[in-house]
Amino acid sequence: MSSTGEKHSPLEQFEIVPYIHIDSKGIDISFTNSSLAMTITVAVITLFLTFSVNTRSIVPSRLQLLSELSYNFIVQLLKDTVGAEGRKYFPFVFTIFMFVLIGNMVGMVPYSFTFTSHIIVTFALAAIVFIGVTVLGFVKHGLRFFSFFVIPGLPWYMLPLLIPIEVISYLSRPISLSVRLFANMLAGHTLLKVFAGFVVSLGLAGFLPLAFIVALTGLEILIAFLQAYVFAILTCLYINDALHLH
Amino acid sequence: MPQLDPEFFVSQLFWLVVTFSFLLLFLWKVSLPRIGSVLEKRENKINNDIETAKQLQIEAEKIQDQIDQKLHNSKEQNISLIKNSTVNLQNKASEELSKLDNELNKKIEKSAKVIENNKKKSLKQIHEQIHEITKLTLSKLSSVQINDQEIEESVANAQSGVRH
Repeated sequence: MSSTGEKHSPLEQFEIVPYIHIDSKGIDISFTNSSLAMTITVAVITLFLTFSVNTRSIVPSRLQLLSELSYNFIVQLLKDTVGAEGRKYFPFVFTIFMFVLIGNMVGMVPYSFTFTSHIIVTFALAAIVFIGVTVLGFVKHGLRFFSFFVIPGLPWYMLPLLIPIEVISYLSRPISLSVRLFANMLAGHTLLKVFAGFVVSLGLAGFLPLAFIVALTGLEILIAFLQAYVFAILTCLYINDALHLH
Repeated sequence: MPQLDPEFFVSQLFWLVVTFSFLLLFLWKVSLPRIGSVLEKRENKINNDIETAKQLQIEAEKIQDQIDQKLHNSKEQNISLIKNSTVNLQNKASEELSKLDNELNKKIEKSAKVIENNKKKSLKQIHEQIHEITKLTLSKLSSVQINDQEIEESVANAQSGVRH
């Protein structure tokens, strides 16, 4: 059916399909393909992290080593950016990192769904980080947290100009954090889909876009890791700001 | 763009909160402590092993010191033993030598006495024989009767004349 190629938009892969309709007091909380991807992600993470360390051996197996490496990766990240006090927030940062990382990776499986390519999901994640970090700052420093917007050592007459800039930059954090992840995933997957369409429409010459897709898939896996890393490291930096102000 | 369609926003947020909170709680309470305990166990094991190795090394050094000490002691003992036995042997040898010297001296003295005695005896005999011969010669050559006293004196004179 050649007509389907025109109907199929590269954005069709992002469409949400409800599998189970659930209505709670008029609010639609249907179980969709997005929910399924999240569930699969959580299942993969929990099963992997639980069963890989089942033997708790001193000399680790390969899977156990993988869990330990990811654990130590985030521990080191927190230690480098926040310091020793960051240890308390380790479970949260680790969860964010694993959730985004495995979510991106699950999205790389053909015919699956990438929930990190939805702005509402990434924005919600960024909002959790933003609200959590702001609350942390107020709990830690009280009203002195507002001094975060005052850059020390600046002449007083510059303050009316710079305080609004600082406030805007602070408030734009969740937007930049969420849009970065969302846009990366959206662009990568759209590009893959566009070139996949070329493979079909070019016929025999289709091997060229196919080769490109293969290379792009490798790049996408790299980006999937990189974006999870960026999300985690920015979370660490925000926590550091909230704990130490400047 | 399906992302901007708010139809499933609530559903997505709901399931995100559900799955994310479950993951957070599960990792926090179950998985991460497990991995952490494994890492801690390994670190403890490594630290213990290092500690044991250090103690063993210290013990080995102690034993080495003891061996050195013993070797040193036995060397000194050897030297003193050799010295002592040398001195003892020298003492014994000199004792034996002086004993032998004494015995030899005694024997020499005895023999000298015997020789002296023999010499005296022979001299006496010679003297008596001279006396006899003189008496006999005189009685044969002349009729002079000379008593023993006179003969004795003249023999003594003659002898002293010979000697001087």
